[in-house]
Amino acid sequence: MFQIEFSDTGTVVIHGRLDAAQAARAQEFLDEIADRCILDLAKLEYISSAGLGVLLRTHKRLMSGGEGLRLINVSNHINDIFMYSGFDKLFRIEVADPGPRSQ
Amino acid sequence: MRRKFSRSFDEIKEMVSFTDEFFKTHDIDNSIRYVVDLCMEELFVNMVTYDKETDADILLEMSPHEHGVQVSLTDFDVDRFDPRGIRPVDINAPLEQRTPGGLGLYLVLKMVDSIHYEYRNRTSKITFVAGGK
Repeated sequence: MFQIEFSDTGTVVIHGRLDAAQAARAQEFLDEIADRCILDLAKLEYISSAGLGVLLRTHKRLMSGGEGLRLINVSNHINDIFMYSGFDKLFRIEVADPGPRSQ
Repeated sequence: MRRKFSRSFDEIKEMVSFTDEFFKTHDIDNSIRYVVDLCMEELFVNMVTYDKETDADILLEMSPHEHGVQVSLTDFDVDRFDPRGIRPVDINAPLEQRTPGGLGLYLVLKMVDSIHYEYRNRTSKITFVAGGK
């Protein structure tokens, strides 16, 4: 289930699957943001090109007046998609800490 | 397994449920799930977005293939469109030159193990294999 909301600290948190069916909703939310923005993607399970388009569009708009989007807590499989798309060269991306290694 | 889906992005949720069922039934390794979901969605969205001259449902078929999955999407009564011929996206382009369009099929071609296209009697069928190696 897709959800996008502000956390208590002002970070934007995205949950679930950001696919073509949810892209318009995500775009509408992010269009309301006028300044630099941190997106916490720890709970983002899936993103397709429609979701990537939302991030790119928002980043370009915000970059024209400031710092753009910063993507934090990015899981490895979402980061793979970012790298395939060249987003690692366009965004500030912080990959999630994988946690302690299990034996 | 096969099922038809209407030409709406709202169907993606049902396609994901269909894929859940297929992976469970055939005990498919979940490590290839992302590739299957992404490629299936990108191809479906492309058909829905660009093949506007028909309102026929799109047929989705999945079958086990060696260690992975073979997935086909068939679109009826449409013009020919071979996704293998798309222009590549320049992923090294600076931000001002990047546009959201074109990434979907680019990712499909990048992520699948193989992709095949057939066009006959105005029926367009795209088949890909994920995790088959």
